[in-house]
Amino acid sequence: MRLPILAATGPRGWAAIAVAAAVVYALPLWLDDPFFILVMQSLAYLYIVAMGIDILVGWSGQISIGHAGLYAMGAYTSALLATRAGWPFWASASTGVVFAGLTGAVLALPSLRAKGPYLAMVTLAFGFMAEVTANRWDFTGGPMGIMAIPSPRLLNGEEMDGTQYFWLIGGAAIVVQVLAANLYYSRVGRTLFAVQGSEVAAETLGVNVYGWKVLAFVLSSVCAGLGGAFFAHQNGFINSDTFVFGLSVQLLTSALMGGTGTLFGPLVGSMILNLIPTVFAHLHEYQLYIYGGIILVTIVFLPRGIVGSLLRLNAVRRLLPRPAPIAPDNSVLGELSLGAQPSVEVRDLSRHFGGIRALQNVDVTIQPGEIHGLIGPNGSGKSTFVNVLTGIYKPTTGSVHVAGREVSGTASHRMARMGVTRTFQSIRLFGDLSVLDNVMVGFHLRLKHGFFSHLFQTAGAVTEEAAYRAKAMALLEFVGIGDRAFDLAQNLSYGQQRLLEIARGLAIGPKLLLLDEPAAGVNPTELHHLSEIIGRIKQAGVTQVVIEHHMELIMGISDSISVLDFGQKIADGTAAEVQANPKVIEAYLGAPDEEDAHA
Amino acid sequence: MVKIWQAVVSGLSIGSIYALIAQGYYVTFITTATLNFGQGEFLMIGAMVGLTAYVTLGLPFPIALLIALAVTALMGVALERVAIRPVIRHVLSHSWVLSTLAISIILKNGAVHIWGPEQIKFPSPFGDQVVQIGNAGIFPQELFIIVAALGTVVAVQIFLKRSVLGKALMAVAHNRNAAAVMGIDVKKMVILAFALSSALAGLGGVLIAPVTFAWAYMGTVPGIKAFAAAIFGGLENPVGILIGGLVIGLGEQLFGTISSNLKEGITFLFILIMLAFRPTGLMGRRTIEKV
Repeated sequence: MRLPILAATGPRGWAAIAVAAAVVYALPLWLDDPFFILVMQSLAYLYIVAMGIDILVGWSGQISIGHAGLYAMGAYTSALLATRAGWPFWASASTGVVFAGLTGAVLALPSLRAKGPYLAMVTLAFGFMAEVTANRWDFTGGPMGIMAIPSPRLLNGEEMDGTQYFWLIGGAAIVVQVLAANLYYSRVGRTLFAVQGSEVAAETLGVNVYGWKVLAFVLSSVCAGLGGAFFAHQNGFINSDTFVFGLSVQLLTSALMGGTGTLFGPLVGSMILNLIPTVFAHLHEYQLYIYGGIILVTIVFLPRGIVGSLLRLNAVRRLLPRPAPIAPDNSVLGELSLGAQPSVEVRDLSRHFGGIRALQNVDVTIQPGEIHGLIGPNGSGKSTFVNVLTGIYKPTTGSVHVAGREVSGTASHRMARMGVTRTFQSIRLFGDLSVLDNVMVGFHLRLKHGFFSHLFQTAGAVTEEAAYRAKAMALLEFVGIGDRAFDLAQNLSYGQQRLLEIARGLAIGPKLLLLDEPAAGVNPTELHHLSEIIGRIKQAGVTQVVIEHHMELIMGISDSISVLDFGQKIADGTAAEVQANPKVIEAYLGAPDEEDAHA
Repeated sequence: MVKIWQAVVSGLSIGSIYALIAQGYYVTFITTATLNFGQGEFLMIGAMVGLTAYVTLGLPFPIALLIALAVTALMGVALERVAIRPVIRHVLSHSWVLSTLAISIILKNGAVHIWGPEQIKFPSPFGDQVVQIGNAGIFPQELFIIVAALGTVVAVQIFLKRSVLGKALMAVAHNRNAAAVMGIDVKKMVILAFALSSALAGLGGVLIAPVTFAWAYMGTVPGIKAFAAAIFGGLENPVGILIGGLVIGLGEQLFGTISSNLKEGITFLFILIMLAFRPTGLMGRRTIEKV
């Protein structure tokens, strides 16, 4: 659940950073004990790794049970460069981070299409490969590992002591937390949450889902690599015994236990998991019972993790800063009519699934600026038609031309780039994002500022986000749900969710908008509102295709109508023509002689 | 050549163990879309209980085997209650990964408490005499493993396709709601799936222990390799899983004759390559997302 707060920075943010820095500075001075300092060091770098896992798991919705392999990549790279080539810490550690990031990019490739247990297997296999390689390869020291890894040095050439090294790692942890917060509240976090919420919907808004998943893997791996490098130089010795499956499980647990996607979950989870062994040190024999028991209990009873569960308490929610109201920028409505309106030519289109012919040789022509209704009994191929038109399915044969350009077989996110988007029959909102943020995802292709601008919250990125929030607000008011802007999308009523999907689609500045059963489940009052909105979108100059079962609505709004039955187009024309067509009546009511036969 | 033949027999025997455990992943995955990541620890418990019954109590081998199966089946029921049912409708779709892993961590610790951390010899009921077949020396236990494991895999499939109970389970797998409407007790079928799955792992443990030794940490690697086998073949396809088990077993033993480093890594290399090209395994169903 991404909190609907608008910015991490500002006075509150700086104050929080100052407090964190003071705590990191004071802790080792206050509890001046070498063992405790060691524990604190480990906590700080494992927290960095857990934050990386959260970006992958909690933000983008993937899973990794092989993160120890990426952690090993950072540790071994830095350790080898420091011991064999004599590189200073900053150089060896940053190379370790880069190598881990590259490994993550490679690991992302087999992970992109794999889901669920298959994805778990990819990461698990990678983790084991890394462990075996470290254990068996002479270059990594085999089972003996690498010894005498030097501590980092201060500017004056002296080796850091434990306290100084903790300050370094703790400082890095604060930087990671701040940068992660920047991403979390920005376009980057929003897009990753959208990918988690619905890959298909994100694609139809122009998000290249594969690319963003790779980004999540790389960010996650960079954090793992950084943690690994800190680990190697803390211990002075590493071997493959550290980088085992159990470590991957522990890292994933700390993210899940704290609460995924809550920004502070990894910190809380890492604290608990790293302090258990210290607190229960005297119960050495029972430690694994306690560890396993704590995992089980939190997973079962706190499914959203500790922070996630706290955030659901009203008492806690009241303490959160309220987002400031946003003045709508109505210029976005004027922009809808910009650009040439496309004509859509569908020729001889077929789509088969195995032996099922969902669409057969369908020809449809849609005039620029019109509302084209698409009707037909259940199973007649309407949804398949929309899916082919928006690039979700590839046509088996036939062609689709939008504004004279052949587009059949083009991926969804490229179709969005050409101004073609849609809503969904079974609603696909990004439930963990706020209503406003759902619309913001729709602006994906129009936003100019990229990853690094958002990472460092440059003035340009901040201004752009604010400008588009005002536009998003205008779209929400256009569909009539401006008052719900800061609620989570999953908390809207059914009808409001349908309206939000329309607002989100409008955000891309569509030339062709396909509405897949927009009136399904909508009550009569909302229905009137809906048909009014569809009319206003037409006035704004957007060509629309509307699939509907609600005949009154479709006959009232459509300029032309096509009728599908068993995958074939059986009629087209104006509402009156279609209503009078005997084939259409037959498709809906059955043939008259059939009824005679029954009688 | 002799080495190759021995590797083939070892590969088939370890591969059929993987296939056996992987069938356990299959039955729970098709019914609940979850699987027990602690399956390896259930294998270990099967071996340890079998060991206690067979060696410590001196019971006949078939009785010891039955006891091991009963205990692991009951533990499967408990697992379903504690780690699957409470999390199956969770907001996080992968809660079950960690909840079953948590159980496996607890079981490992428990096994160390009861049986100690040492490797214990599990005498084969067929003796330790090497049988010469051609030039290759083979343990009779290895042949027994192949026959028993593959036989069980076939028996499970016959049970699922032919018996009323098995058909009910398959009905739940195909369509949970439709099965419930037809009067099938979905909850019981899910429990059955976990009991069956765990008993298969328990059987695997009793079969493999005479070859590997019995100890608290014996299950982790076979559990994961069996998971690899299931993924390799395609989690929803029993034939694919059988092929996956045998390919992985043979692969690691045959590559093991070239170098022991390859033996360790080859399974995971296979898997990464397979999934890069076929994201739902060799024979897995490619799903078209309905929109």
